[in-house]
Amino acid sequence: MYDTAGVTPDDISCFDDIKKIPKVEKSMMRGIQNKDPFPYGDALCVPLEEVSTFRQTSGTTGQPVYQPDTWQDWEWWSECWSFILWAQGYRPKDRVFIPFGYNIFVAFWAGHYAAEKLGCEVVPGGVLDTQSRILKIKELNATAMMATPTYVLRMADVAKNKMGIDPSELSINKITCAGEPGAGIPSTKKRMEDAWGAKVYDHSGATEIGAWSYECREQPCGMHVNEAMFFVEIEDLDTGEIIEEPVRRGKMIITALDRMAQPCIRFDSKDVIEWDSEPCSCGRTFRLIKGGVIGRADDITKVKGVLLSPAAIEEVVRSINGLGDEFEVIVDKQGDVDRIKLKVELMPDVTKPSVENILNDQLRLKTNLGYRIEYYDYGSLPRYEVKAKRFKDLRKKNFNEKEGSL
Amino acid sequence: MKNFSNLNGVNDKILKIKQLLLELETEAKIFPALSRNSKRALASIKMLELNISDIVTFDLIDS
Repeated sequence: MYDTAGVTPDDISCFDDIKKIPKVEKSMMRGIQNKDPFPYGDALCVPLEEVSTFRQTSGTTGQPVYQPDTWQDWEWWSECWSFILWAQGYRPKDRVFIPFGYNIFVAFWAGHYAAEKLGCEVVPGGVLDTQSRILKIKELNATAMMATPTYVLRMADVAKNKMGIDPSELSINKITCAGEPGAGIPSTKKRMEDAWGAKVYDHSGATEIGAWSYECREQPCGMHVNEAMFFVEIEDLDTGEIIEEPVRRGKMIITALDRMAQPCIRFDSKDVIEWDSEPCSCGRTFRLIKGGVIGRADDITKVKGVLLSPAAIEEVVRSINGLGDEFEVIVDKQGDVDRIKLKVELMPDVTKPSVENILNDQLRLKTNLGYRIEYYDYGSLPRYEVKAKRFKDLRKKNFNEKEGSL
Repeated sequence: MKNFSNLNGVNDKILKIKQLLLELETEAKIFPALSRNSKRALASIKMLELNISDIVTFDLIDS
């Protein structure tokens, strides 16, 4: 690819030169990994015997991509996470509980090692079930936790409704979220913070990129980009022009500056972001992206000719007190006309008339679309343990195949 | 960073440690304990380089 583009390492001597390098997409990585050496293909940039750890993407958007890392890459991963945790107030006195599956997905592995690196005491909550994890947090007086927003809310729900434990009375005072956009959606963040009586911080990263951004303790309604470790460009969604000015949305193209085994060079992440015009009051000089990751270019879909982001629906549903945390959006077609169905849960003792006007109004206001809304009793909709699948676009021809591959 | 007056001195020490570890690694071919531990130490030294040496190298201290 680089030969075809006529680019060699000697051509790169400053940040501006990076723009000469062709972009890489996840779908290209899938093709590369059919080649030798097995199983990584010829994007592997170190001898196979230098690879010390395997991870893979979750397959949310198709066939998983394998990620090789050397020991130095793994040090780099935990160094990136060390920036995150320090900025969010993790200190050696913290006892950090990590309730995730410790498996082939990168998830919170690097968060675990970074917390150790900072001198925190780390409790790996691996194979325990949700109730056992809550009991362990209580037993050990854990002060911090890392999980997906879906699981943070799920744990609170189980504690409160199945165990009679108020999670806000436990000792957790900060939670770092990753894997989903929830901690950057104000109403979802508020639900998590209220449920746990803790500060909830957002972080964004990806298996094939690294842990590239984080919210600091100032919670400036945005995230810092770790510009010591990553070079971020924002590309106009329509023209492909590189956006330098703040408050103009585009797609992130990212380069990890020090990743060795499978480098991440001008990776088209599909994350939609915009630079903030203001610096953060925390004093860090790393630039802020306003509102965090606003959405994904491939999530933002057209319904009835209107651009729709699933995050906008989440913001509305979770801003209404009488509705539960769970919801589901189904887009399909009747003839040539798009339709959207929204399934929501009513909290116990809440009636449909008390919420339906505000829900309809807010959806119309925030998304410019009308919905067929179905109301369910609390606890009826599916619960998720890690990442949720709440948005289903049945218009996509391969929807069922894709779901089957997850 | 401006308040950290001796960044060049710190960088010199990092580079010295790196050099010593590289020398150890070349002597480690038939000494597995030396090989694996010097490799790991070099990975940690790389993180010091990213945090400190890069700044000195790119002359960003006063910018």
